[in-house]
Amino acid sequence: MNVILKVILAVYNFFVGDLVILIGVTLTMVILALINSVGALAPLRGGSGLILIVGVLATLVATLGREVMRSENKQKA
Amino acid sequence: MQWAIVIAAFLAASVEFVEAFTLVLVAGITVNWRSSIVGALAAVATLAVIIATLGVALVTLIPIGVLRFVIGFLLLLFGLKWLKNAIQRYSGLKFLHDEEAIYAANLAQARARGEAVGTRLDPFGVLLSYKSVLLEGLEVAFIVISFGSGGSSGIGMAAIGAAAAGVLVILVGALVRSPLQRIPENTLKFIVGIMLTTFGTFWSGESFGINWPFSDLFLLMLAALYLVVSVLLITAMKQRKPRVASATMASEAPMPSQEKEVRI
Repeated sequence: MNVILKVILAVYNFFVGDLVILIGVTLTMVILALINSVGALAPLRGGSGLILIVGVLATLVATLGREVMRSENKQKA
Repeated sequence: MQWAIVIAAFLAASVEFVEAFTLVLVAGITVNWRSSIVGALAAVATLAVIIATLGVALVTLIPIGVLRFVIGFLLLLFGLKWLKNAIQRYSGLKFLHDEEAIYAANLAQARARGEAVGTRLDPFGVLLSYKSVLLEGLEVAFIVISFGSGGSSGIGMAAIGAAAAGVLVILVGALVRSPLQRIPENTLKFIVGIMLTTFGTFWSGESFGINWPFSDLFLLMLAALYLVVSVLLITAMKQRKPRVASATMASEAPMPSQEKEVRI
């Protein structure tokens, strides 16, 4: 494997090691950035904190749901 | 907030140092104590350099707003990873970390080299000890740097917490001279996961200009919320598929060494 790829993979595994968590948290940050910068979304700024917390919890539920599904599929197979 | 930082760093460091101690012990018994201690001290020195240089550079060079966003984001990733693993272990989806099994596997592996135990420095012993302390300590270093960057004067407090954990593990380990099995590793990981996720949410929120109600006191409310949701998730996962646990446990062996999970 390419050395650069190995390094990227090592960094990824060190910090997160789970694509669902990475996508979930990134998506939450992007939504917050949009709310903060786009004028049309300004009315939502008051609920930014709630959106952030819900985003974090949704990510946790999604990644655990994926693990449960994975275990069930393994059991069926 | 300062005490929360000390506690979070102390707990996280305790878990990591207990894991590192197991392999330092293996190196000490199978090779010799001199190599094992030299390797461990060299790793501690490397970690200190990383914290001192990277930590100070981050704090002094990067604007606090940007730093809070980056650190908050990384803490969220890190915290959710720890929390997810701890919840999986509580609900039976994953094996509990077994220091005794890891110790036995690594001991057998090291003894299989078949070399006599001497007193001179042995590269294998030094490297085994150095690698284990450095790898486990890197996560602690990251947590210390994160707290130092995100909060005011937090780096010193976090370093105190981590150092206290290190001293405690070494003292207990020196007395017991066996793997520290009675440390409730998963409980510690669960608490640290909640603390990291809480701080990550708080700081990344502040970087977006969110004014949390009750200021720093909101950290406690956030932690309580994450704790309640996590407990509910554990309960739900246990009830949903009791059979899943046994099926998964039968097909997965505990990790024999320090291998970290690779999952995409």
